[in-house]
Amino acid sequence: MNSKQKYVIISALILLTAVLIWWLASGGEMLSKDGMWLEQEISELDKALGLEPQKVYQEKFILGLLPHTAVISGIIVVVAGILFFTFKSKKTKEKK
Amino acid sequence: MNTIIKTLILLLAAVSMSFAQGFKVKATGEQTFNFEDKRNQVKFFSTTPLEDITGISNDVKGKVSLNVSDIKSLKGSITISVASIKTAIDLRDEHLRSENWLDADNYPEITFVIKKVGDIKILEDNRIETKITGDFTAHGVTKETIADVTLTYLDASEQTKQYAPGDLLGVQAKFNIALSDFEVENMIVGQKVADEIEITATLRGSNAK
Repeated sequence: MNSKQKYVIISALILLTAVLIWWLASGGEMLSKDGMWLEQEISELDKALGLEPQKVYQEKFILGLLPHTAVISGIIVVVAGILFFTFKSKKTKEKK
Repeated sequence: MNTIIKTLILLLAAVSMSFAQGFKVKATGEQTFNFEDKRNQVKFFSTTPLEDITGISNDVKGKVSLNVSDIKSLKGSITISVASIKTAIDLRDEHLRSENWLDADNYPEITFVIKKVGDIKILEDNRIETKITGDFTAHGVTKETIADVTLTYLDASEQTKQYAPGDLLGVQAKFNIALSDFEVENMIVGQKVADEIEITATLRGSNAK
C-alpha cells in the first residue's frame, strides 16, 4: 500500500465517521419518517388548566438512516475503492 | 341512647368533612366530567441509546366524577384506542398494532381505571397535586399503577367557553410502565424500544350535560 492509498483509506474512514455522527445528531432514526411532531405553543386556557405543551402531528417525509446515510456511505466506499485501485495501478506502471 | 349514637355519628361526619381535601371553587357537590375534547392527548415515550421514540394518541375518551370538596371521592376511567397511536413512521405504527406488540385486533383499547387517590397536596384553591392508584390495562393485562397527577378545576367562564360549556377539569398525569409487565416481549424490546415507557396524559374535561 503506497502513501496515496493510505490517504484514500483514512479520508474514507473520516467521511464515514462524519456520516455516522451526522446520523446520530439527527436523532439516530433508522427508518424514514412519514410525519413529525411539533411542539404546540400553550394557550392561556391550557396554562390556567395546569397543562403542559402538547405535540401536534404533521405529515412530512424525512429520510431515515437506511436510504439516507447508507447511500452516502456507499458512494464514499465506491469512490474510495476506485481511487485505491487507481493509485495502485499508477504505482505498478511507475515500477514498470 | 339513640341520641348519643346520632350525635357521635354526626360528630364523626363533621370531623371527616373537616379533613376532606378538595377544590375551593364556586362549584359544589358531585360533578361528572367527560373527556371528549379532540385536543386531549396521551403520549408514550421510549428512550434507548439507539433511538428515542414518541407515540401519541389523540383518540382519548373517559369520564370521571368527584365531590368537589373531597378529591378522594374521584373515580372514573380514561381509554385510548391502540389503532390511534402514531409514532411518525407508518411502518412502525403497523408493527405497534401487530400481534408481536400491542395486538390491536385482540386488545383494541388501553385503559386506566381510578382506584384510589393519595398523597394530596393543595397547590392552589383550584389546583391539587396527587398520586392516583389505578388499574392500567394494555395488551389484555391489568397491573396496578401509580400516576403523578395534577388536577385543576376551572369554574365556567367566558374563557372556559373556548373549549366547552360548563366547568372544566384539567388533568396532567405522568407514570411509567414496563412493557414486560404487559407481556409485550420481543427481540426489539430493550434494544431499539425501552422496556420502561413513560406515559403522559394531557386532558381537558367538561361537566356540561
